[in-house]
Order: sequence, then C-alpha cells, then structure tokens
Amino acid sequence: MTIDPKDMDGLAPSLARGLTQRRLSRRDMLKVGGISVGALSLTQILAACAGSSSSGGGGGTSAASAVNFDPATAGKTLNFSNWPLYMDKSHGTYPSLDKFKQQTGITVTYNDEINGNDTFFGKLLPQLQAGQDTGRDIIVITNGEYLTALIANGWATELDASRRPNFDKYAASWAKSPAYDPDNKHTMAWQSGLTGLGYNTEMVLQAPTKLDDMMSTDYFPPKSVGVLKEDAPNLVMINLGIDPITSTQDDWNAAADWLAKLRDSDTFYAAYDQGYVDDLNAKNLSGTMAWSGDILYNAIWAGHPYEFIEPEGGSLLWIDNMLIPAHSANPAGALELMDFYYLPENAQLLTEYILYMSPVPEVQKLIAEHAKQETGKYAEQLAATAASPMLWPDEALLSTVSLGRPITNQDESDAWHSTFDTIWEQ
Amino acid sequence: MSQATADVPGLVPDDIERPPARQGERALARRRRAAAYGMLSPGGIYLILFFVIPLIIIVQTSLSSSDLFVGGGKLHFDWNWSNYHTAITEYWEYYVRSIIYAGIATVLCIGLAYPMAYWIAFYGGKWKATLFMLILVPFFVSFVIRTVQWNFILGTNGLLLTPLKSWHIVPQDLVVLKTPGAVIAGITYNFMPFAALPLYVALERIDRRLVEAAKDLYSSPSVAFRKVVLPLSYPGIFAAVILTFVPATGDYVNSSVLGGTGTTMIGQIIQNFFLVRHNYAVAAAMSVVLMLGMLVLAIVYARALGTEDSTLAAGAGG
Repeated sequence: MTIDPKDMDGLAPSLARGLTQRRLSRRDMLKVGGISVGALSLTQILAACAGSSSSGGGGGTSAASAVNFDPATAGKTLNFSNWPLYMDKSHGTYPSLDKFKQQTGITVTYNDEINGNDTFFGKLLPQLQAGQDTGRDIIVITNGEYLTALIANGWATELDASRRPNFDKYAASWAKSPAYDPDNKHTMAWQSGLTGLGYNTEMVLQAPTKLDDMMSTDYFPPKSVGVLKEDAPNLVMINLGIDPITSTQDDWNAAADWLAKLRDSDTFYAAYDQGYVDDLNAKNLSGTMAWSGDILYNAIWAGHPYEFIEPEGGSLLWIDNMLIPAHSANPAGALELMDFYYLPENAQLLTEYILYMSPVPEVQKLIAEHAKQETGKYAEQLAATAASPMLWPDEALLSTVSLGRPITNQDESDAWHSTFDTIWEQ
Repeated sequence: MSQATADVPGLVPDDIERPPARQGERALARRRRAAAYGMLSPGGIYLILFFVIPLIIIVQTSLSSSDLFVGGGKLHFDWNWSNYHTAITEYWEYYVRSIIYAGIATVLCIGLAYPMAYWIAFYGGKWKATLFMLILVPFFVSFVIRTVQWNFILGTNGLLLTPLKSWHIVPQDLVVLKTPGAVIAGITYNFMPFAALPLYVALERIDRRLVEAAKDLYSSPSVAFRKVVLPLSYPGIFAAVILTFVPATGDYVNSSVLGGTGTTMIGQIIQNFFLVRHNYAVAAAMSVVLMLGMLVLAIVYARALGTEDSTLAAGAGG
C-alpha cells in the first residue's frame, strides 16, 4: 500500500515518516504500475531500434570539456529528478529548494519520478543514445552497474572540482572519492544507507546476530524470513568473509549456494525487489534483509517493535549519487544546487525529514541542538535520530561495511545476473 | 459464419469462369470490391502500423546484439541467433510452467464461468443484462489493483487465513501467498470475465426449441445438455479458451504480485531482460518464441476442436 507523498502535506513530518517508507515506495510503484511498464516496453523497443539505425559509436562521448560551470551563466530553471520521499517537504513546497531559489534566483522543478535505477536508466536510454538532452539537469542513481554504465558511456557530465567549496569542506570521508567514481569526477553523494538485518523483536524466538541465523528456526518462525534480491549477493559475500569489490565468479557461486540454501530452508518466505516493509508490518515476515532507514523510521517514528542490526560479518553500504546527465541545459545551476546541499544547515533540512545517512556529518550536531530547543515527543524523536549509530556511522562501523561488487562490462553483467537472478526464478 | 463470409463482396475470387458480363455490371462489381477494401483499410492500416511493423522490429531486434557498457546498449543487427539459443535452452522450463499455469487457470475459468453463463442465459429472464453486468463489474477496477487486493485476502494474516486458522480448519503454518496455487487463483480470477463473455453469447443464442425437441424425443436433461447445448456452445468455449489461455500464458502481473520463488512465469523473465538487464535482444527472442509457441498451440487446438465439433454436429444431425 503506497501512500502518495502529495497527500501528506498537512501531516506532521514525523507522522508522515511513520506512515511511509521511502525505499519501499520507490519500487512498489513500479510493481503496481505493471501495466504501464508493459506499455513502456514497446516504446523502448521502438526507441531502441530507432537508435540502432543512427550511426553507431558511444552515443556522445563525454561533453566535459565543453561544459560551462560558471554560475554567472546558469539558467533560471533546473529540473531535478529524484526518488519519492527523498526531499524535505512542508505544505506542498520544498523548504530547502525555496531557500535555494532565494539565494540564486533559480527555480527548481522537482520531480520524484525515480522508482528504480534499472527502470529509470531505461527511461533515459533512448535520449542518451541519441545524444539528446534528457530534459533533466540532476538525477540520483545508486552506485552499481547503471551508474557505471552512465559514466562509461560518457553520459554523466564531468564536474568542475573548483566549484564545490561546501563539498570540499563538509563531505564525509565515505562520500569523498568513492571507488566507483575516483575524485568525484562525475558524482556527489545525495544520501546513503546500510543493508543489514531487520527483525520484529516480538516475533523472533531469540535475537539474531549473524546472517546464518536467517536459516535457523531457532531464531525465526517457519516461513517468515525475507531477502532483498538486489543487495543479497553482496551482503552474503561480505558475511562469508569475501570482499565483494574483488570477488570472482567462484565467490559469486559461493554466495549463490548460500542463498539457494536459505531459499530451501524452513524459515524462507520470499525474495523482494521492494515491498518487504509491507510484509513486515503485516507480520508475514519476522525478519528480513533490510535497509537501515526503513527499519529506523518504523522503530523510532512509528513505534514498531523493530530492530536493525549489522550482522557479525558486516553490512552493505550503498550510496545514492547526484549527477548531471549529458547535454543538460543548465549544468552550472545543477552544480550550484549539488554543492548547496553540502552546507550543514541545508543538509539538516533534508535529514530531519527523510532520515537517511547524510554525507554531511556536521548535521548530527545540528539535529542534537535542535532537539534541545524542542519539547515533548518530537524532541525525543529528534534526539533518537541524532543518536542513531546507523545514521552517523563512526570509523569502527565503517570499517565493517563494504560497497557492492562493481559491474564494469557486459560479460560481468551477464555472468552476475545469470548467477543470481536464477536463484529466485526457479 | 461460413455463409456470412461468402456474402461479403470482394472476397469472392475474380470472376474468371463467369459468363462475360456487361460493362455496367463489371463497374458495379469493381465498385463493390473497392467498397470492401475501403471498409477494411482503416483497420488494416492500423494493424500494419501497430502490429505488423512492430512485429518486424521485434524479429529484427531478436537477431541483434548490444553492449550496455560499450556503445551504450545500441542494437546492432547481425543475425545473432545466439539470442534464441539463450531464450530457449536457458529458459525453456519457464515456458512450460507458464503453459501449465495458464492451462489450469483456463480450465478453472471455463468450469466456473460456464454454469454461471448458462444460468444467466437460460434463466436470467429480464435480469439477463443486469446479471451479466455484475460479472463484468470487477473490470471497472484496474487489473493491477485487483491483483494487489488478493495479497490482502491471501496473506498469512489476511482475510481468508486468519479466521480459518483461528477456527482450526487449516494448519496454523499454512501459507497460500507465494505458492503456485495463489498465482493460478489470481489468473483465474482476473481472466474469468474473458471466458464468461463468449460463453454467454454462445449460450444465449441457442434456440430453446432444440432443447425442447430433444426432450420430446425422450432425452434426459443431461443427455439433452450433452447432445444439444454443449455442442452448440463449442464456438463460445473455443473463443473463451483462446481469450483466456493466450494472454494468461504471457501474464506477469499475477506471478509478480502473488507469486514467489519457484512460480516465475516467462512474462517475468521477459520483463526482467527488458527493464532490468536492458537486454532487448534476448527479450525480443523470448517474445518471438512465446508468440510462435502460442500460434502453434492455437492452430493445433483449432484443428482438434474443429473436427470434434463437426463430428458431434454430424452425430447430432444423424
């Protein structure tokens, strides 16, 4: 059951948060939009074929050198595409975007149209292949094969490193020069999170501590454990003691075997793209691989008896990244906005509303101060938010997390999907 | 049916063996033929634009290759037959599973819809139209929404299982959602109106006097049904099977929403190749295989039922 964020303008942000789960809403909409997805397919065939008749090549190599990032040349409008419930909102307006407009005079058209990296990539593909403006100046893509493909094809505009002072000053260590984009040449983190183990403390038989516990009826009732399809391979490798970054086909097979064992165990219930929180709330699940934010919201803000833990072997870190698609009409304005969100008081507006892991660590202090100024339950919740170790990972925690396996070419992509997709299709 | 086609002007072959006609007659015949083509052309053009051309593109796509990381996934037509190799050798079980699920659902649809359509057609009286509308009412709700609702009905703590479990009618750990049964139930529910519609039309048309005649000739109600009503409703059953089975085989919404691990249908595999892996070539190859498979099955079925129909009709007549 997806709640349209538009309907929630009148609600207190805390309540809105409790009612919704960002990551859930994203791809749930895709699932529910099954029919329109079918319709999209044909368009894509046609578009893809139209693309094939044009002269081949890489579809517009990096336009980096020609791009002008001088703020004086910035256009007055900016199109920002993001995931649902991923922006602070109050009474139908976006306070942080309004603030940006006051400061720069740039009007941002904000569009929460991204429901999946894969599908959104597919949506832009025809224009990118044809070397045309996608109509979007900033998009947000999770680290992974689609981000890699965007960069590899020159479809992510190279950024001017001299024009992001806030980023240089305030960005967290994990957000700087990530493995998938050295020196942040093309991307800057929007928000981030962890994939670990979430469970209902009232349903489990004893508190799990490691990933292997997912298979055991000593911990979970029969048929009540969920898996996140996309993240599972990397999370399992981390917990098998394999570094996903350098993993080989043999390591993948080991992870696939583990997952097949979980699938065939008595505890297994289902594998999810999205929507596992619905099943957790419906008590179809007692425990599941989960995104930190989803469980934290439901525990802190909605009062569910949930716990999010990092399994003993470690958890998976993912980063959602802002980037400027090739041939954007307003790259200068886009870079200004990207840097704007690295100023702590701007980043704070975001974090207090969406509660994901901010790439600006200073925000933690600001939220703690804000909690002292407020009273009652809201103050408690803000304080809990400021204190959550999963939102503000320290070095100790960061040393146990890893990014997923980078997929850098078609053969790897085919091998990866052949190894892991089939587990859930059998 | 056959009578009707013979009457359509323009579908008669050129009048080579006819006696020489006068100028005026020839012109008239030509005009009639032109009128027929004129009537066919809007639909024909539509089909060429939106069916034939896309079909050709799909076939072309299915024989192309692409690389998402080099060349941005652009398709290159190079007679890449390996797409078909992948589509068939790696995924044949999903075609089989889809055909089995759709087959069971089709039988259930007709089993459920036939008595209903029969009752409405024969005993509905002045309420016929209203009663039939009631069957179609679910159609006013989006297909996907209807399917998602089944999640709530079949869930472990849902509307169906919670009371059954608390009354100890079913085992406490019974799980329905994510099983083949849930997927088949979803398909059956969603496609039943497609079966009911042609069945009703066929049954409604049956001349009641034929049933009375059978009874006058001392046939029992069941024999009258078997020898008269059932054979006369064959065209309806034929249409119902095609309208249910073909789309159900390619369906992916029911198996995505209600199914789990081990209930994946070919539609989901095609969707995955298209929307997740952006491998349009293999997805197109799978679509072509599915399309041809359905076509062959439909032809075989049409032939089989066609013969049976005429035999029975002859039997009834003789």
